[in-house]
Amino acid sequence: MKSVLAVIEYIVKQNIRNKMLNVLTIFSIFIIGFSLAISELAQESEIRMLKDFGLFSISLLSFITLLLSVTIQMFEETELKTMHIIMVKPIKRSEYLIGKYFGIITTLFINILFMFIVLMLVINIRGSDPWELKLLLSVFFIFISICIISSVAVLFSVIATSVPGCVLFLFFTYVLGHLTIHLKKLVAHSENTVIKIIVDIIYYVVPNLELFNLKNKLETTYGLIEPSFFLFIIIYAISYISIILLISIKYFDKKEFF
Amino acid sequence: MEIVIEVKNLTKIYKSLDFWKKDTYTGIKDVNLSIYKGEIFGLLGLNGAGKTTLMKTLLGLLQPTTGSIKILGSSINNTEIRKYIGYMPELPYFPKYLKAYEILEYFADIFNIHNKRQKILQTLELVGLKGNEYKKIKGFSKGMQSRLGMAQALINDPEILFLDEPMSGLDPLGYKEMRDVLVDLNKNGKTIFFNSHILSEVEKICDRVAIMHRGHLIEPVKVSWIIKKFKSVESYFIHHVKE
Ligand SMILES: Nc1ncnc2c1ncn2[C@@H]1O[C@H](COP(=O)(O)OP(=O)(O)OP(=O)(O)O)[C@@H](O)[C@H]1O
Ligand SMILES: [Mg+2]
Repeated sequence: MKSVLAVIEYIVKQNIRNKMLNVLTIFSIFIIGFSLAISELAQESEIRMLKDFGLFSISLLSFITLLLSVTIQMFEETELKTMHIIMVKPIKRSEYLIGKYFGIITTLFINILFMFIVLMLVINIRGSDPWELKLLLSVFFIFISICIISSVAVLFSVIATSVPGCVLFLFFTYVLGHLTIHLKKLVAHSENTVIKIIVDIIYYVVPNLELFNLKNKLETTYGLIEPSFFLFIIIYAISYISIILLISIKYFDKKEFF
Repeated sequence: MEIVIEVKNLTKIYKSLDFWKKDTYTGIKDVNLSIYKGEIFGLLGLNGAGKTTLMKTLLGLLQPTTGSIKILGSSINNTEIRKYIGYMPELPYFPKYLKAYEILEYFADIFNIHNKRQKILQTLELVGLKGNEYKKIKGFSKGMQSRLGMAQALINDPEILFLDEPMSGLDPLGYKEMRDVLVDLNKNGKTIFFNSHILSEVEKICDRVAIMHRGHLIEPVKVSWIIKKFKSVESYFIHHVKE
């Protein structure tokens, strides 16, 4: 347990100190702060747009942060061979990988928190309520979806033999993850069983990231999200992450370090 | 004498990383070797002979294709055993925005070392990095990175030290300092297994040496015997690797 904490601390420190990631965070804060300048009137519709823009930025920029962080780490691990030293220390490979995963999501938590605080400030300045439950829930779900895609990032970084390959596949997963639910709806009435099967496979293998986009779902007749749906997506996230991490550990246990 | 590393019929065949290619390359072939407690053992060989391959396989970084390896009577996959091991890879590298102290702190935490602060400062001093504890790796020279690589290998007071070309990148004073550190550790009963191209250093500190040639290990011999028969380790080495 202590070694897992040591790995988490190390990964977070490494990310926070990295100049490229810092520049990205400053850029993100600037983008969100910039929305203050474009929306001028405190009309309801303007504020709605402001919130949507802010949430969309947080979701996209946190993903880019993840990509960058994975690129940097994988480059060091494979090209510069930092893994060789740690793999000979008395830490189980599974512990290392778990530590790495939690290190990544801790970094992203901090990253999202920063951006969200800026968004809340902007909303406050525009005279709306930054503590609105809907807003808080939305950002919480953005974080959960980033946790899911981070588990996929860990898996790819274990399997992939090159950094660009890993990043490219992660990008595909992100895009597909947001599309699967729409794909499934599209082919629902199709006669072609082959296409249906392919879409089904994609639907169940690729994480369903659109589940976590609360933008439309929040506007139900209940006024707010249904508790059962809330529970469902939390369980979905935990199961998906656990399965992906277990597969990663299985691969990692057999991995050789050339 | 107590055997601390025991290698039997070890072969490592590299497979292509691209699964559609079938080509393989034999890194080391049928290696048998016993290392005794408290000795300094030098592994010599030309570039590409298989020295690093042997070391990485011993450490579990590579999986043996066939054969068996016992370290302190157990498998290296046993994390307990790894508490007694130190390893310095060739050309060690560390994340450049971290400080030397922070890097050693990370490893000290993994070993669960008590009074780690004292241990870290002491180890950095031992490898000649006193005064650079809080400097970022970004500002380290090549030799300073090697020294840090040595420091992380020593942080847990290992019983067995695996060093892959520990002298590379060091200045002439560094050679002497490294030699002193190794001899000193050895006096305290530590076993040292290292690869090197610097035959004059090998001659000064090793008890036994073995030559790796094209993946085959030539029977280990005592340095004192070499001096008697061949006058120097260099002429013994040339004698074996010459065409
Ligand atoms: N990942 C790999 N895939 C295929 N062949 C490899 C791989 N790594 C090493 N080899 C081959 O195995 C042989 C032994 O390499 P190794 O790194 O063990 O040599 P070495 O004795 O340490 O050499 P040096 O003195 O240059 O460090 C070399 O011929 C090399 O080409
Ligand atoms: Mg080598």
